Amino acid sequence: MTRRFRRWQALGVALLMLGSACTFGADEPGDSGGSVAADEPVTLRVWTHQNKSFNQGLKDLGAGFEAANPNVTLKFETFDYDSYIQTLQTALPAGTEADVLQMFGTWTCSYADNLAPVPADVSGLADAQSAFFEAPIGGYTCDDTLYGFPQEFNIEYGATLVNTDIADAAGVDTSAGWATWDEFMADAKALTETQDDVITRTGYHFTSADALVYSFFSLILQGGGQFLADDGASFTIDTPEAREAVALMQSMVDEGIIDPELFNDTANWVGDCYFEEACSMGLIGPWVVPEYSADFPEVADATKYVALPTLGETPDFVADSGWGLTVSANSPATNVAWDFVEFVTLDPENAAAWNTATGTLPALRSNGEGATQEQLIADYPHFEAWFPLLQYGQYVGNLPDRDLLWYEIAYPHLLGVLQGTESVDDALAAMESEANDTFR
Amino acid sequence: MASATIEQPRRKRRWFGGREGAQRRFVSIVLSPALAYMAVFLVLPIGWAFVLAFFDFSPRRTGSPFLGLGLDNPFVGLEHFARMFDFSKTAPLEVRQFHTALKVTLLFAFIVVPLNLVITLPLASMVESVRGRWKVLYRTVFFLPVLTSAVGVAIIWGFVLHPQRGLLNGLISRATGKVTAIAWTTDPDLVFLGVPIALVAIIVAYLWQDIGYNLVIFIAALQAIPDSVKDAARVDGASAWQTFRYITLPLLKPTILLASVLTMISAFQVFDLFQVMTNGGPDDQTRALSLDIYESAFRYQRMGWAAAVSVVLFLLVFTISIVQSRFLRANWEY
Repeated sequence: MTRRFRRWQALGVALLMLGSACTFGADEPGDSGGSVAADEPVTLRVWTHQNKSFNQGLKDLGAGFEAANPNVTLKFETFDYDSYIQTLQTALPAGTEADVLQMFGTWTCSYADNLAPVPADVSGLADAQSAFFEAPIGGYTCDDTLYGFPQEFNIEYGATLVNTDIADAAGVDTSAGWATWDEFMADAKALTETQDDVITRTGYHFTSADALVYSFFSLILQGGGQFLADDGASFTIDTPEAREAVALMQSMVDEGIIDPELFNDTANWVGDCYFEEACSMGLIGPWVVPEYSADFPEVADATKYVALPTLGETPDFVADSGWGLTVSANSPATNVAWDFVEFVTLDPENAAAWNTATGTLPALRSNGEGATQEQLIADYPHFEAWFPLLQYGQYVGNLPDRDLLWYEIAYPHLLGVLQGTESVDDALAAMESEANDTFR
Repeated sequence: MASATIEQPRRKRRWFGGREGAQRRFVSIVLSPALAYMAVFLVLPIGWAFVLAFFDFSPRRTGSPFLGLGLDNPFVGLEHFARMFDFSKTAPLEVRQFHTALKVTLLFAFIVVPLNLVITLPLASMVESVRGRWKVLYRTVFFLPVLTSAVGVAIIWGFVLHPQRGLLNGLISRATGKVTAIAWTTDPDLVFLGVPIALVAIIVAYLWQDIGYNLVIFIAALQAIPDSVKDAARVDGASAWQTFRYITLPLLKPTILLASVLTMISAFQVFDLFQVMTNGGPDDQTRALSLDIYESAFRYQRMGWAAAVSVVLFLLVFTISIVQSRFLRANWEY
């Protein structure tokens, strides 16, 4: 081949590479947002992650919004969960996102630069804080600015799944709940089955990643401590309250209620474990019940949630903010986008319709009581134990990287302590240091 | 004798005209799709990874309009590589995880490669010695796992090794008459000769799936050795072992080189088994470099750091492959 031909080839390859590479180029975010006149035809793009009931619930509300606003057309685009995270992470800095973005509240502040703040005529911060429970609205509040509204209360700690068939067979009555951790542990021990010194059915599974980390941070709160400094810029994890929390969890292992080598995130994850009846009780949020009901209807029928005892006066717990809606700062029709978000999230009737369609707990305080609460419990009996707890939820905080803290820092160290491979001193010191490194 | 240079009339090169031009057009048309594909999906990502390794890049942050580099994704030069040499206890988490991942990957590769060869070479020789249809049957049976999805293999082995419902513990329980629940892949205390059992479990699954590939390569190489060479050895009184040791094995040297280099490269790249069987656990005992890169890049969006680690992985594979080639190179052919 001639040198000239090679040059042509090289030029072609270089042009192709440059062309592809330039697609990474980003427009300056937030410089093209705008609003449109009241009757001007508008097409709003709405991005959500794929979840059958979530998507259908939103589409149903969208149909109502389109009927009330004939000039608006909603275009829903869905992504599987992993793709959605990556799409948001790349599209927002590039300014190519949709007008309305479904957001998990805890993520919101990391995208705040590219999101539109809630206009004052939609809701002020104080109004939103009184309308929504603290934990869900916390995720949408960044430096005292509101960037969206939650649709659900995402809760993982406060009550435990109880298999009533197994409890009845063991002669354990959990209907009155437990006043103390000693009472709880006695029942959990009675619900534990062992054979040849091997736990074949654990009494209480709390050693999956989410369960263990939510337990740890919630028990710190209940003990009167805090893990995040007031300014939200540093962690204090090596504290007496943290030691008390670890000691309680360690005592359950020592009592033989659970073997963390056999029951953890990799082997016997709590959802599988509970519905396959290898766990009598298990710590996981109420979202798991509809997820498994179709495949394990008999276990689902025998399932109820019972509130856990507390270490302090009140059942304080740590919670992430739930799924909700935000508006892109680049949207050419932010006013219409906010109208839609307001219609879905702030209207109590519409918000309750979405919670009913999706089997999620309400984020609006007004839907957590009265007739709406009764209707939700009638539709989802396993919600009953959760409603009294919602007011005690504390938002986990706008962490630099929540997943990193949860799954790479807190969980491995806590599991290490329970498995006996790490001392409490080393684990707490390492957690504090590694967690503070995430602020770098 | 005087020499004279005869000046040839210079042929005018015609790029698009004439027979030569037609050939060039044909070559261009045929090669362009493949070159474009390679440029976009191979050269560009590799080049992009090398560029990113010098930036503190995260797609979460807003960079400059030029490729998203700069501004909040600043140029950091060799900083990522320098941090890799921080062996102190206070080194950042990602650095310590990189050290662990490097150790796990090297351990995995240097166990898997010799084990693979030690198993496949004699097995190939045995399969090759079988006559008739049985040879085809054996070849098929041993090659079948290669065709299986790696994720499927990981799930099945996960089931075999499950502490409570696993086949292995079930067999041990039957044999001992006692309920046995060994947490093969989740107990950090289980170690064999300094190698975590969770890693051993992945090695077993990997070998189960991979040996068929090298087996076919060795069978093909064995078939290529002329019978006359072996016959000559036998005439000279060599036993079967001596024939294998002094005739077959040396003649297989180029194939052993090929198999060991390919296995080494593939061992450094294994991802699915690590992610599905253990997800790096217990206690990071099976956190391989590929998993570390994936977690850093796509879970925690530390693209710059992940790119630097992938550059290290590339250099590692490159260097080891070169060293292997030097050691196992044969200077003759038959």
